[in-house]
Amino acid sequence: MSPKNLKVLGVYHVIFLVQNTMVGTGLLSAPQRLSVLGYSQVLMPIYFGIIATITLWPMVWICSQYKGDNLFRINELLLGKWMGKGINVLIVLHFTLLIAAIISNYMNLIQSTALPEQTTTVTILLVLLLLTYIVNGGIKTIARFCTLAFCLAIPMVYFLRWGIEKGDLSHIFPLFNFTSQEFFKAMQQGYLSILGYELIMFYFPYIIDQKKAFKHAMIGIWITISLVFITTVVSVMYYSEWQLEHVEFSVLHLFKAGEFSFVERIDIMGITFWVSLILTTAAAYLWSARKGLDSIRSKKNKYHVYFITAAIFGVIMLPVNREFQQKLFDASIYIEYIVILWPIFLCLIHLVRKKQVKSK
Amino acid sequence: MKKSIILFVLTILLTGCSDKELKVPLEDIGMVSTLSFDYIDEEMMKLTVAIPQFSPEAKENTQLFSVTTDMISKGIVEIEMQSDKKIVLNQLRVVLFNEEFAKHGRMRKLIRHLYRDSSVGNKVLIAIVKENGEEVLKADYPDKPNVNLYINDLLQPSINTAFNPNTNIHDFIYTQTSTVHDSIVPIVDKKNGIIKIEEVAVFKGKEMIESIPHDEALIIQALQGRKNLAPLALDLGDGEEDKLVLDLISNKVKMKSNKNMEAPKLSITLKMEGTLVDYVGYRGGELESLEKITKLEEDIDKHTSKQVEEFLDKLKELEVDPIGLAEEFRKHYHGKWDKEKTNDIISKLQVDVKVETSIISTGNLK
Amino acid sequence: MKIGRLVRATLSGTSQKKTTKIEHEEPTNELKDQVTERLENIRKQTSEIDDIMFKKIATDEGVVTVIYSNSLVEKMTIQTMVFIPLTNYIHQIHQVSDSIEDTDIQEITKKVITGQTILFFHKTFQLLSIDTYSAPTRSITNTEVESTVIGPQDAFTESLETNISLVKRRIKSPMLKNETFTIGTETDTKISVVYMDGIVNKDNLEVLKERIEKLDHPAYTDVTILKQLIEDNPLSPFPQYYLTVRPDTVSGYLHDGRIVVFMENSSAVMICPVTFLEMFMSVEDYYNRWTTASLLRMLRFFGFFLTITITPLYVSALTFHPEILPYELLLNLQESRAKVPFPPLFEVLFIELIIEVLREAGSRMPAKVGQTIGIVGGIVIGTAAVEAGLISNILVVLVATSALLSFLPPIFLVSNTSRFVRYIFIISAGLFGLFGQMIAFTWLMVHLLRIDSLGKPYMSPVIPRKATDLLNGIIRFPTKYLTKKSGISKSPKK
Repeated sequence: MSPKNLKVLGVYHVIFLVQNTMVGTGLLSAPQRLSVLGYSQVLMPIYFGIIATITLWPMVWICSQYKGDNLFRINELLLGKWMGKGINVLIVLHFTLLIAAIISNYMNLIQSTALPEQTTTVTILLVLLLLTYIVNGGIKTIARFCTLAFCLAIPMVYFLRWGIEKGDLSHIFPLFNFTSQEFFKAMQQGYLSILGYELIMFYFPYIIDQKKAFKHAMIGIWITISLVFITTVVSVMYYSEWQLEHVEFSVLHLFKAGEFSFVERIDIMGITFWVSLILTTAAAYLWSARKGLDSIRSKKNKYHVYFITAAIFGVIMLPVNREFQQKLFDASIYIEYIVILWPIFLCLIHLVRKKQVKSK
Repeated sequence: MKKSIILFVLTILLTGCSDKELKVPLEDIGMVSTLSFDYIDEEMMKLTVAIPQFSPEAKENTQLFSVTTDMISKGIVEIEMQSDKKIVLNQLRVVLFNEEFAKHGRMRKLIRHLYRDSSVGNKVLIAIVKENGEEVLKADYPDKPNVNLYINDLLQPSINTAFNPNTNIHDFIYTQTSTVHDSIVPIVDKKNGIIKIEEVAVFKGKEMIESIPHDEALIIQALQGRKNLAPLALDLGDGEEDKLVLDLISNKVKMKSNKNMEAPKLSITLKMEGTLVDYVGYRGGELESLEKITKLEEDIDKHTSKQVEEFLDKLKELEVDPIGLAEEFRKHYHGKWDKEKTNDIISKLQVDVKVETSIISTGNLK
Repeated sequence: MKIGRLVRATLSGTSQKKTTKIEHEEPTNELKDQVTERLENIRKQTSEIDDIMFKKIATDEGVVTVIYSNSLVEKMTIQTMVFIPLTNYIHQIHQVSDSIEDTDIQEITKKVITGQTILFFHKTFQLLSIDTYSAPTRSITNTEVESTVIGPQDAFTESLETNISLVKRRIKSPMLKNETFTIGTETDTKISVVYMDGIVNKDNLEVLKERIEKLDHPAYTDVTILKQLIEDNPLSPFPQYYLTVRPDTVSGYLHDGRIVVFMENSSAVMICPVTFLEMFMSVEDYYNRWTTASLLRMLRFFGFFLTITITPLYVSALTFHPEILPYELLLNLQESRAKVPFPPLFEVLFIELIIEVLREAGSRMPAKVGQTIGIVGGIVIGTAAVEAGLISNILVVLVATSALLSFLPPIFLVSNTSRFVRYIFIISAGLFGLFGQMIAFTWLMVHLLRIDSLGKPYMSPVIPRKATDLLNGIIRFPTKYLTKKSGISKSPKK
């Protein structure tokens, strides 16, 4: 690939790529994950947004020091070949787990709401196939798909109307009614609903306007944050604290509140449409994982993507009990927190080893 | 590209081979429209389901099945044994409980079961039957096409039954689990071949403790800020004839609490705007002048605020809060709020009610 | 007509007279042998092509053999352009004809079979050719496939020259270029690549020319074959180039910097690159007022998505999600489905197939029989199938609506596509209900996003390349705002 062709992501591509990789099943269950705080969870998304913006900065900074390289390459440059490769293997494994977690979560939801009488094996296979089809189109197709998915999904905000009508805005008061312990618990459980923006470290070399990338990524982050904010506000208005804690996919029940004269149940429509949002997230991760595999094996191979997909399928279908699987998935999500903080570590190393690396 | 298309087609073909459960087509599904629960004893209940019968050849337009069971799903399975169709709850519209059932506090568990079931919508309406739910469903309503549609339409929101809280599954779970609310559910009664909503059941915690008449239930709706209230019929006269009907156009409630947990005080301002549609009484014929109307407005204010106060006193005695008055205190309170605090507030509550009525027109005649 | 015949009669008379004269003349033997040898060679090459005529005519410059194809050259033309000048003012012939330096027999034959007339001067051994190609053509008629109410009514014919003239009448600019290529190893088909110099994106032009040069398909009978061969994604069900028979559509797109490919013997022309949205635009949109045009465009565009979702929705609602239907409708459906023996999936496939059969039968039949088919199919089969309990009556309404909707796009190829895509949706709805349908929809979206048209993204105005593209998207803004060229044909800034 020539360097001219490498840069394919325009302004909107970056915004929506960042925005849509952040929206997945996390948004559906955000109010439940924050329910430790009860009604006071309303402002949580805003704090998340601030944290995301702060953590975004070292990511963009370290990438802009190595303009043509993604994180895998930067790892190798800064930590030495073997150490870097070791870390990269871990990241790829972690991404595989994470995609498995995303898809498996969603498929469980689909199984319990839309297809209660079927096993999910075939549907998972179908989703994974579609996923490879998207990823094979390259990062630009993923970005464009994100844009389209966003445009198609944003009207769903209208479905929250009934929740707002029925809800009571006074629930959000008092605003800061929690202890610091509760706050950190909610932080730990809830932050994963906005994960996904860290992938910018992998597609950064493809961005045309790298200087403004931080700004564009931030716009994307804040679009998502405002969506999460709207969902938590409406959920708080509509539910009792008990419901917030026990209704797992609160957005689903918010959709259940509405009706049109020609469609009685909007929740099924909404939840099945959600597949496109899941696919955008999973596709971005899969693309990054494929790049990782390329960089570990130091060559490009189109079968890498099938290899990872097969691994994902294997993890989802793993013949272990659900508890272990769930623990595995949870672990993968917490590892993601490390990935978010990783660039800070890299930045420090970069500052120390600056001259050494440059001279190479 | 080529490969993925081939793979896609292969998967589709392979799904055809997979040994999955045969889907039941629509016409072989019995879609339960109304469920009714009758109390037998602490363990058991009588479950009646009503399924609309679509076949024009059938004589009855509703299929009814009753079983005695202790769990809903178990009951459904038993009913399936009697029925020629697969019984599903996807199109459930109304759930009926008899009064005894509600008084024993067993409603919450059953409704929570329905709330968890993803095939059941959240807008399933709940009502309490005075005597026996099964009888309501089994009774003959010669002028109604279908008992399912009849009950469903009856319980739907309508301007003339504005006192009806239209409690659905979500509302019930919400009020049951909310720390500041107590549930209210409409009560229906079968009388002389018709079903009628007349009263509203008030719950304290899980149990129904009281039924209140419809004009008091209307106060609950008014204080909750419902916009479209029924035409308000008032009898102002003490001895003298002084009756009127107000068609309410808008209704605004303002509540202000003193934020004091020890001596809670709440001032409620109720602003009503309406048209005078009917008047019988000593003022008759002289209502054209503005002063007279202002006088009438004042009388209405006095009368209504007294009514509201009386009703709130009644709630205070019962220590229940169907309106959610405690929310005014909760939202200023830091720390965990629970049901006891609500009860505590309600029992100590001092209320100051102010009603401001304005009659904006008296019709076209001068 | 009468006069023509008369002239022809007299002329042929003269030529016969002249040929008889030849016998009296005595050329040198050596030369005569050479001449006969050459002529024999040509004869051998063209043996069994019976419409090639050899005529010896005595002129002032000695005997001339005239070789031409009887079927490609009209009698009138050969008389006025060759025979009369040859016998009367022969110096004119030298002025209007090209002399052939290359004496390759193959070349000469080729000239003859493309409609040129070869003059062979026995005395000087000179070869001349005159372009006398005058095969009969159809006159310009109204368009039947893309008729509009407002706007010009003329349509392209099968003649390349006529078609190009129809466009050149509309754009009188020296910037309008038409480059001719010959493709097809066996058919030697002439195509013409037309574009507006200065507006067209040079990159697009390069890509197109490159693709045309790489072609090695033997035979072309219509531009659609060429279209399929040079499309970016030949496996996709979606047409990636616009196809039209209307000269006004073509000139509109030329103004916007698109490239148009004409082919001889093809009444349709191909426009590239285009976007998915443009498949739903008709040139009539620009003649209508903007309000009407926008409404119609929305109808066509959303009609496409409706036609691929209505019947699948029926399948998934009935098999998987009865709860999404309103109660009264559901009771009706149950009642009408009660007698139907198939599961909804097969019920839908069955009636969809019947519709396909009807449509196909209708379009292959002579017009008069076609009407009867409509009645038989529509009324008899439709009503009777419901009466017989083979399908539910609500489904008949849905299928009929979706069949009508599928004919909304102005390009017929898109309506074919919509039918194909609908089957994918029906089957996935039958397997996984709404979820399957959404999976199929996502596939459709991704597929559309992955398609290119001449290297340009197919979904361009949906995800706009330029803000002004939105002015001429699903909503057509008033004409005074439509001055900017679309982003897809814009040359990249360098």
